[in-house]
Amino acid sequence: MIDKIKEISDAVSEKISRITSLNELSDLRVRYLGKNGEITALLKGLKSISAEERPSVGKHINELRQKVDEMLSAYEDRFIALQKEKKMKEEEIDVTLSMPDKNACGSLHPLTLAKNELINAFTGMGFSVLEGVEVEEDYYNFQLLNIPADHPARDMQDTFYITDKILLRTQTSAVQARTMLSQKPPIRVICPGKVYRADDDATHSPMFHQMEGLVVDKNVNICDLKGCLDEFARSFFGADTRTRLRPSYFPFTEPSMEMDVSCFMCHGKGCRLCKGTGWIEVLGAGIVNPVVLENCGIDSKEYSGFAFGIGIERCAMLKYGIPDIRILFENDLRFLRQYK
Amino acid sequence: MKVPYSWLKDFVDIDGISAEVLGDKLVSAGFEIEEVIRLSDSIKNVVVGRVEEIVRHPDSDHMFVCQVNVGDKVCQIVTGAQNVKKGDLVPTCLDGAVLPDGKTIKSGVLRGVKSEGMLCSGAELGLTEDDFVGAGVYGIWIIREKCSIGQDINEVIGNTDIVLDVAVTANRPDANSILGVAREVAAVLDKPLKMPDLSYKTVGEDVSSYVSVENKEQALCPRYIACAVKNVKQCVSPKIMRDRLKAVGIRPINNLVDVTNYVLIEIGQPMHAFDKKLLEGGKIVVRTAQEGEKIVALDGKEYALSSRNLVICDSKKPVAVAGVMGGEYSSICPDTDTVILESARFARDSVRHTARELNLHSDSSARFEKGIDFLSQEIGMKRALALFFQNGWGDIVDGKIDCFAENTDDRKIVYNYEEINKITGFEVPKDAIVDILNRLQLKTTAEGDILTTLVPAFREDIVGINDLTEEVIRIYGYDAVTPRILSDMRGGKNEKQLRQDKLKQILVGKGASEIVSYAFVTPKSADFLRLNADSPLRSMIALRNPLGADISVMRTNLAYSMLKIIEGNFVRGNRAGRLFEIGSTYIPKALPLTELPEEKEKLSVAFYGDGEDYYSIKNVLDDIFSAFAIEVSYKRSATEYLHPGRSADIFAADGTKIGVVGEVHPDVMSKLDVDKRIYIAELDEVYLVENGLDIKPFKPISRYQSVERDLALIAPIDLPAAEIIASIKDSCSDLLQDAYVFDVYTGGQVQKGKKSIAVRLLFTDFTKTLTDETINKEIENVLAGFGEKSICLR
Repeated sequence: MIDKIKEISDAVSEKISRITSLNELSDLRVRYLGKNGEITALLKGLKSISAEERPSVGKHINELRQKVDEMLSAYEDRFIALQKEKKMKEEEIDVTLSMPDKNACGSLHPLTLAKNELINAFTGMGFSVLEGVEVEEDYYNFQLLNIPADHPARDMQDTFYITDKILLRTQTSAVQARTMLSQKPPIRVICPGKVYRADDDATHSPMFHQMEGLVVDKNVNICDLKGCLDEFARSFFGADTRTRLRPSYFPFTEPSMEMDVSCFMCHGKGCRLCKGTGWIEVLGAGIVNPVVLENCGIDSKEYSGFAFGIGIERCAMLKYGIPDIRILFENDLRFLRQYK
Repeated sequence: MKVPYSWLKDFVDIDGISAEVLGDKLVSAGFEIEEVIRLSDSIKNVVVGRVEEIVRHPDSDHMFVCQVNVGDKVCQIVTGAQNVKKGDLVPTCLDGAVLPDGKTIKSGVLRGVKSEGMLCSGAELGLTEDDFVGAGVYGIWIIREKCSIGQDINEVIGNTDIVLDVAVTANRPDANSILGVAREVAAVLDKPLKMPDLSYKTVGEDVSSYVSVENKEQALCPRYIACAVKNVKQCVSPKIMRDRLKAVGIRPINNLVDVTNYVLIEIGQPMHAFDKKLLEGGKIVVRTAQEGEKIVALDGKEYALSSRNLVICDSKKPVAVAGVMGGEYSSICPDTDTVILESARFARDSVRHTARELNLHSDSSARFEKGIDFLSQEIGMKRALALFFQNGWGDIVDGKIDCFAENTDDRKIVYNYEEINKITGFEVPKDAIVDILNRLQLKTTAEGDILTTLVPAFREDIVGINDLTEEVIRIYGYDAVTPRILSDMRGGKNEKQLRQDKLKQILVGKGASEIVSYAFVTPKSADFLRLNADSPLRSMIALRNPLGADISVMRTNLAYSMLKIIEGNFVRGNRAGRLFEIGSTYIPKALPLTELPEEKEKLSVAFYGDGEDYYSIKNVLDDIFSAFAIEVSYKRSATEYLHPGRSADIFAADGTKIGVVGEVHPDVMSKLDVDKRIYIAELDEVYLVENGLDIKPFKPISRYQSVERDLALIAPIDLPAAEIIASIKDSCSDLLQDAYVFDVYTGGQVQKGKKSIAVRLLFTDFTKTLTDETINKEIENVLAGFGEKSICLR
């Protein structure tokens, strides 16, 4: 009996090493462990063994059965794994292959990207976003803003006129005038939009985009202006950006100033972008001229404000390194798709 | 404003202060520096040389070979000039020299003889005989000035000045002069301002016996001063005057012309000189021109005048266009004996309009257009007379004629100094305020906290506290401002703005790139788009002063711009693409405009190139409508620029037409340099963002499986799919969740005039599993519902 056990054990080991398919494996299972299998037969044959020997032989047979079962199962697991691996190997593809995708995503225009960034910088400081009309009355675009007909500031802005009284707005400040006329302070708004001036070269386009901002409240002063615009500069140009204010002139603000930011290319050391100065001019600002407040029905004794204007093209060109304003309006897909 | 350093020094002590330092200080005070020009940059590497030896060129009968001592060495230089002798001092261009005309001199070989540079003429250095004796001769300039061998020629000819190009803001016409900039420099450096020498002596008589002035237009000419100088001597101006004028870009002519230009630059006052004997009737009349009057200006051209032009006349005719240019007839000529000098203030916009209307511009008109201050007429006249006197150019007649309309007294502002600090937001000490204002010639005194400032008439820009604050802080420095964070407030984009962002994001996700195009187009765009003669879109608002015909009217739709942008892309090799734009259209209520037009924001979407068709763009639109929960229907369109068989009008459920979509009409395509079909849509963007929903109300999802049932139908070829789907939806109960076409087929085994159309129906029950019986019943209803439509199962 013991010999028989040994013989079966050896036979199974030998046969397993030679099988090539799951079917053969299953045949082996039937042959040895099946209802009529050889090991099952041995167990059945226990009856004919003496009572003293039976427990020991029985133990051996059971051990054999367990061993064979384990061998078959282990082999089966390995075999299935091998088969899966083989199938996956056959399914292998060139993962580096890329082909033009018609459904590739499109892109927002860099002016929209810049505008959104600007808006985000200010909405975080409690500004609301207002848009106004582009075909505007002289009254809102100039007169309310302290720019009467013979004012030299009109030369600063070559205006497209439609009639004596109607024009294409030269600045989004017109929206601010309308806001002050219709809203009571506190006012905190930004007005992004298209503006128009009769100018066309590498740095000027007859249509361009501006974002002006206005804050009117009690006790607004230059420190508030600087705090707000510093925050914007860090948000838009980077956390380590420094700023400086320089006096300038705009008819609707007094005092008026321009703000430079430290050059984000060279960090102030001087490079081509900043023309060696370490500073880049980014916006105009100032304390709202009390004449403008009064023109718009706001008591300048009680309220004061500051205003600022940012060129969106300039911001986009600076930030994205675009050398010529005309590229922005050519809308070449090879350019647009760079801004996915 | 070009400001030569040497000229500035006449008025303020800037010794030892470099152009860079001074420039930075001016920038901090509100005067940007456009450029720092070093005059010596125009002549480089040219030195004084002495001719040590001169022999004939061995291979030329007109050239000479010179050995020239240039200090540290002796150079061999070949010259063709015939006036050079041994021992002469000559301007010598060394290898690499640069001359004022931009020419560079290099060593070379002339007919086999090495030449290490060039000897040059006075003309080549930009000089004339008026500048230096011998500088005007034909040939080499033989230098007679005091100089040393090897010395930079710039030093010899005095070409060493530094010129600051200062940008003056529009509110500061008073700073458009050397004196005006000097005032600022004195303030920022805290140094005294030296006024120009205005002293002169007269010779008796009275100007009124020479000329009378009648000012008929005091509004256009608030001040007119006239003086007379007799026995004038015409000559070349002194070198210092000529050099300074050249440094600011003005060509010296003779003393009488130069003195007016000199005063213009130094004081900021345009002047004019008339020949007294050519003023008929001995009279100057300031008036507007009569229609049809003509004048030949100093530029030799004849100009036709109108009543909008202010002119200076004698008793008969115009002799000058006021503030713009003198007339040729009355101008100074070689035999001029007595001049009448004019120093006037003309209204800014009058000069501007006249200069533009006549297209006649001069340094004088440019100055008047910027505006000149109240005080400079008198200072300008005195300065001009002082220059006549000091140079002995004539005898100044007693008195002046002054037609004077304006008050030039100082204006007084009384205020508490705290009002300034309320604007700055930080404490500028009272003493600093008083000091700064006084430095700026704004005489200020303090009595306790109350300050009194006397604003001189040349500072028209200062009227109130805000103006004074600016004066204080621009000198005190913005570096002192401490940033303060704004208080909390609610802000952000509104619903519509957020929806527009969402709309753009969907389009980007669909592969479309956003464009931004000009809002103005050509009026020909209407014909280009085949718009009907009575189309309201033909009413386009025209600009009065467009930059070109192609950008002269405001667009009434976005399609034209979009098509031209596609064409631009196509010709550059971008043969397929998806584009979109959100922009305004401008719809006038009536033309010419009497009130503001309606500005309607539109969305334009266009697909072109292989693989695009009507359905690829329509699917994207459908997805947008679905994202905004806007139900729409499509009906065949008659839009002029679209293919009549491949275009649809889009209607919202409330019946509003919210857009069009379709293939571009072949007749439009034939005008475009694009050989792929273009599919374009234009939607009412405002309707989308106003009526769209961001988040739709929750709809329950069934716990039971849905059942799909496909129907293969045969239908007349021209029966719109939308009608079939509508009929199916009508016939079914609420169990029908969706019904859509998934295949359309014509030809082959399908009968002519018919199409095979495959529709998928999706049924869902929320309470139980659907049985075949139930669904069969639904299908029976569907088929019955087709009724008269001659649709049958395939």
